Amino acid sequence: MSGDAFTYSRAADLAEALAAGAAPGAAFLAGGTDLTPLWKARAARPDHVVDISRLPLAQIEATSAGLTLGALAKLSDVAADPAVRRDYPLVAEAIRASASGQVRNMASLGGALLQRTRCAYFRDAAMACNKREPGSGCGALAGENRGAAIFGASEACVATHPSDVAVALAALDAQVEIAGPKGTRRIALADLHREPGDTPEIDTTLAHGEVVTRIEVPAAPAWRATYLKVRDRASFEFAVISVAAALEIANGRIVQARLCAGGVAPKPWRLTAAEAALAGHAPTLDVFAEAADLAVQGARPLAHNGFKIDLLRRAVARALATVGGAA
Amino acid sequence: MPDAGRVEIRLTLNGEPRQIAVAPFDTLLDVLRDQVGLTGVKKGCDMGACGACTVLADGRRIKACLALAASYDGRAITTIEGIGSPEALHPLQAAFVRHDALQCGYCTPGQILSALALIEEGVADREAIREGLSGNLCRCGAHPAIVEAVAEVAGL
Amino acid sequence: MSVLESPVRLEAALKATGRAVYEAETPMAGMLHAALVEAPIANGRVTAVDGAAARGLPGFADLVSYAEAEALKPSGTVALIREPQIHFAAQPVALVVAETLQQAEACARAVKLELAAEPAVTAIDQALERAYAPELVGRYPAATRRGDAEAALSEAHLVVRQRYETAVNNHHPMEPHSMVCAWEGDRVVVHTGTQATFATQRVIAHAFQIPVDHVRVVSRFMGGGFGCKGPLWWPWMIWALQASRRTGRPVRLELTRAQLFHLVGRRQETVQDLAIGLDAEGRLSAIDHAVLAQTATHGEFCDSTARATRWLYACPNVTTSHRLVATNEPLPIPMRAPGVAPGTFALESALDEAAHALGLDPVELRVRNYADRDLDAEKPWSSNGLLECYRIGAERFGWSARPAAGTARDGRWAIGWGMASSVYGVHRQPCNVKVRLEVDAGVLVQCGTQDFGQGAYTAIGQLAAEGLGLSMEKVRVELGDTDLPEGPYTGGSMVTASFTPPTEEAVGAIRTRLAALARADAASPLAGADDLVFEDGLVRSRARNAAESVAELMARLAPDGLEAEAFAALPDSVDYSANAYGAIFVEVGVDPDLGEIRVRRVGAAFAAGRILNPLLARSQYVGGLIGGIGMALHERVATDRASGRIVGETFADYLIPVHADMPDFDIAMVDEVDPLLPGGVKGIGMLGSAGVQAAIANAVFHAVGRRVRHLPIRIEDVIG
Repeated sequence: MSGDAFTYSRAADLAEALAAGAAPGAAFLAGGTDLTPLWKARAARPDHVVDISRLPLAQIEATSAGLTLGALAKLSDVAADPAVRRDYPLVAEAIRASASGQVRNMASLGGALLQRTRCAYFRDAAMACNKREPGSGCGALAGENRGAAIFGASEACVATHPSDVAVALAALDAQVEIAGPKGTRRIALADLHREPGDTPEIDTTLAHGEVVTRIEVPAAPAWRATYLKVRDRASFEFAVISVAAALEIANGRIVQARLCAGGVAPKPWRLTAAEAALAGHAPTLDVFAEAADLAVQGARPLAHNGFKIDLLRRAVARALATVGGAA
Repeated sequence: MPDAGRVEIRLTLNGEPRQIAVAPFDTLLDVLRDQVGLTGVKKGCDMGACGACTVLADGRRIKACLALAASYDGRAITTIEGIGSPEALHPLQAAFVRHDALQCGYCTPGQILSALALIEEGVADREAIREGLSGNLCRCGAHPAIVEAVAEVAGL
Repeated sequence: MSVLESPVRLEAALKATGRAVYEAETPMAGMLHAALVEAPIANGRVTAVDGAAARGLPGFADLVSYAEAEALKPSGTVALIREPQIHFAAQPVALVVAETLQQAEACARAVKLELAAEPAVTAIDQALERAYAPELVGRYPAATRRGDAEAALSEAHLVVRQRYETAVNNHHPMEPHSMVCAWEGDRVVVHTGTQATFATQRVIAHAFQIPVDHVRVVSRFMGGGFGCKGPLWWPWMIWALQASRRTGRPVRLELTRAQLFHLVGRRQETVQDLAIGLDAEGRLSAIDHAVLAQTATHGEFCDSTARATRWLYACPNVTTSHRLVATNEPLPIPMRAPGVAPGTFALESALDEAAHALGLDPVELRVRNYADRDLDAEKPWSSNGLLECYRIGAERFGWSARPAAGTARDGRWAIGWGMASSVYGVHRQPCNVKVRLEVDAGVLVQCGTQDFGQGAYTAIGQLAAEGLGLSMEKVRVELGDTDLPEGPYTGGSMVTASFTPPTEEAVGAIRTRLAALARADAASPLAGADDLVFEDGLVRSRARNAAESVAELMARLAPDGLEAEAFAALPDSVDYSANAYGAIFVEVGVDPDLGEIRVRRVGAAFAAGRILNPLLARSQYVGGLIGGIGMALHERVATDRASGRIVGETFADYLIPVHADMPDFDIAMVDEVDPLLPGGVKGIGMLGSAGVQAAIANAVFHAVGRRVRHLPIRIEDVIG
C-alpha cells in the first residue's frame, strides 16, 4: 500500500531538521513505525519527510536528579537499560508490554509519545473522521466504539491515545523538552497531549515544525510501581485499558500516590482524585477500593465501551493491591 | 527544495555491499522483494502487524514494511537468504524442519529471523520465547512447534 | 509410525530458507502492477467511471471496469466485474495497471466515479422480515425433521432452550491473494495461490472463450488458504488477466491485507436458536436447531451449521432448519470447519448446560447419547471412534480429577475445565495421479492438486516411497499445476483421502511390473520367486533369502523407467456414513476481576482413520485447534452500520492468537482402521477447528460460573 509521493531529506543536525521541518507539509521521521503505516493508509499525507533518526538524541542518562532520555532512544534500548530497569522499572515494564520486539527496536521514545490514535475510523481514509478530515464527522461516536474514550472526549472525537510508555511517564511527572524554530521549551508531559474539543485534528500542543528532543523523569522516591495492561490477547495488542500505579509508602502510610490510565482518554489520563484520596492513608483494600471508585468518576460511556468504566475501577484496585502489598 | 527523484542508498545485504536507487517513499520491504529479488522477505500485512517481513538491521530485528529504505542507508541488512540454504541449513532452520515448525511457510522466514534475534537478546524459558515471538503471526498454527525449535537452539 | 519416525515435511527446507517461490514472486519481465478502485457506497450502481485524470498520471497503462469486462463471457463468476451494480462497501469497480505499484495505487485514487447510491442493509437485524430458507446448505437439505421434536420437548424432563451467536470471521492466510500472468497470443500462464487450480483454469478459459488447454495455472507454493483462495478471488484475478491481455504485458495483482476483509469471503455470522430436551438420565429426547445467517445480495451461501446436529447423537426427535438474510455485506464462503465450528459451539454448549443442570459429568452425558448408527440417513457408520476419543482424551487430560466448579485457582486465575465433541465429515473427489520410477530408483509423483500448507507434498510422496520400499530422499513430488494430472481442490479435508487410492494403485502397478520383470529375468536371484516385497531400496524374496536393489533391477530391466497413472472415481452411492471424530478437553484461566481469558491446556483425542504422517498430522490438529481458539476468544469482524464498511481492516484490529496465547497441547491419535473407506483415510484438517470453541466456553463457565453464548468471548462478557 502507498500514499502520495513525497520527497525525503536527512537532517545532519537539529538546526537543519528544524529548518526543513518548518516547511508546510513537512513531517519528521524517526523510527517510522507510525508515520509509515499512516502514510500508507493516507491518514498522514506529508509532502516532504525530514529524517531525524540519526540526530544525536538517543542518550539514556540516569543521574541523582533524574532520568534523561533522548527522544530518539529506541524503546528497546530504554527498556533494556540497567539504570532504567533498576530505578524506573515502571518505564521498562510499560515498554515491554507494548508492541512487538521488532517495533520496539525501531520506534523512538519521542515517536511513541506522539503516535496517533488507533481508532479504526481515523486509519481508514474512507470513513468519517474529524481527526483525519475535519468536518467529516466522527464515525465512532455512534459506530463501533468499543475502544473509544470514556474521559476527555468530545462530540467531534472519541479517540484514545494508544501509547503505553506515555502512561508510565505521565505517572512519573515526566517533562518534555521541545525544540522549534522559535527556540527550546519545556512542558510537562501531562500538557503535551490535548483534549479534542472542536479541533480533534490537533493531537498535541506542539506547533508545526516543533520536535520533541528529550524526556526527563524526575528522580523517583522509593516508588513501588506497576504497569497493569488489560487486553484481549496475551501480547502484541494495544491496551483495552492500562493503569500505571506508583505508591510511596512510609511507616505504614501512603505518602504519595500516582495513578495514570491508558486506553481511556485522548491522553494519558492522570487519576488525580484517586491519588489525593490515597495520600495519608494506610494501604488497605478498602482504601484502594475507595480510590478506584473515585478513579472512574466523571467517566462517560458510549454504546460499546461502557465496560471500560467497571474495568478501570477493577484495574485500579488490582494495580494498587499489587504495589500496596495488600493483595 | 530537496530532489524529488530517487535516492541512492548503500546497503550491506547479506554481507554483500549494494548500491540501490530507491524512491523516497519506498519501504525496505518493497526494495528487497521487488528491486533486489530477495523474495524470502514476505509481505503479509504491510502495516507492521504480522512480522512476515522481519529482517535484521545491524543484527537487530525490524519490520521491513515499516522502514523507509532511504532511512536505512549505510546499514547492514540480513534476510533469510543470508542465514542458510537448503543444502547448508542454519541450525535454527534445521530445527524448524525437524520440529515441523511450519506449514504454509509464508511466515517462516520472519519467524526464523525474529527468533535468531530473540536468542541474541536472551531468553530464559519457553514463556519468554512465546512473548518474544508474539510480533510474528502464524495462521496455520505452527506456534508450539516453532517454540520447541527455538527452545532447542537456545539450549532450553 | 510415531511422530518421531515420521518423515519431515518434504518442502520444509525450501520454506525455511526463503527459497520456496510463492506464485506472485515469479519473475516476469516488463511486468505491470495492478490496483483496484473501490466503491465508497454499500449499495447502488456506478453510472460512470472517469479515468481521464488517472490516464494523465505517470506510469498509467490501462484501466478495466465493468464496461471493458463486457468483453468477457458472462457467468456467475464474472458477474461482479461485468455489471455496474454495487453490492457491498469497498466493492471494486475498476482495476488500473501501471508501471509501479505506487503509480497504480495513485492512478486508482485518481479515478472518478459517478454513483447512484441506494439505502443499504448493513446488518441482518435490519432485514429480519426478509429472512428466507435456502434450498440447500452445501450439498444437504436446509431443513430436516425426524420424529416430533416439539412434542418431545414439551414432555422432556429438562429443556435447555437458548440462543447462541457467532461472529463474522475472516480466513487471513498469511499470504494475501496474489497472481502474476503472461499472455502469448490466446494462451496464458497464471501463477496464483489457489485452492482450486483446475477450476481456476476452467473459469479463465470460459471468461476469455479460449480452449481450456490454452490456460496453464500454476500453484506450487501457497501461503495458506483456509477456504478463501477459491471462487471469490476469481473476479479480481480475471480483471487483471484482462488488463494483461489488453496491454500485452505481464500483470501482477496482490490484494492488500485490508482487502482480505471484504473481497474474498468470510465465515458467516450465525444466530442459532437451539432447544434440547433430555430425560432425567441425560438421554436426548429432542433437538430443535434453527440457524439464521447472513448472505450477500449478489450470491447465496449457507454453511450447513445444523447438519451435525442431525446425527451426532442418538436422538429420536430432531428438527433442523437454516434461514438466510441477504445484506449489503461481503459474501461468506467456507472457512475452517465450516458449519460444524459454529454448529457445535451451540450444540456442545447446550449439552454442557444440560449436564450442569442434571449434575452429570459432561463426558458421561455424551457417552449416554452415543449414536451407534446414523439416524438421519439410517445407515451404519463406516467407523465411529467417538467413545474411544472420550476415554483416551479424558484419561490423558486427567479429567477424573476435574475440580468442583469455581474452586480451582492459580494466582489471579480462576481455573476451569470444559470439554466438547468434534466431528467432520469424510469427503473425497475424483483424482488422477501419475507415478514414475526412474532408472536410478528415484520416484516422481505428479498430481495437479495443490498444497497450501497442509502437507500434501509429504503425504503423497510418502505413499510412493513406502509403496516402493524407498527412502523419502528418493522422492520428488510435483503438485499445483494444470499441466499435471487433474486432482482435487483443497477443501473439506479431502485432498489426502482423494489422492491416496490412486497413488497406491499407481505405485502398486509399478511394483507389479517390476516384480514381474525380476521374476522373468533369469539373471536375477529373484527369478521365479513369488513372494517379492519392496523394502529398504531392495526387492526381496524371503523364501529365497535373496534380494536385489531397485536401482540394479531398473538399470537392467527398465532403463527407460516405469510409469503408471491411476484414476480414482467416486462411487455413485455408499451404504454407510463416514465421519472423523474427536473429543476436546480444555483448561482455561479466567481473571474474574479483569475479564482476561487464557487457554492454558488443550488435550484432544482424534479418531480419523489412517494417519499417514503423525508428525504432520499433529501439526494439522494443533493448527486447527489454534484457529478454534481464535474464533472462541479473539476474532470478530465489526461492520460500521452507517456505512457498511468493515471497521479496522488490519491485524492490529482483527485479533488472531499470537505465540503468547498458546496453551500446552496434548494430541492423541486414536488407532482406527476403517475398512470401508478407500485407502482408509478420513481427513483431518478441519477436525481441530470444531468443538474447541464450546469446550472453551464450557471451561469459562466452569471457572467463573458465567455462561457466554456468543463468540468471541471477551473481557466484557466475563465482568459485564
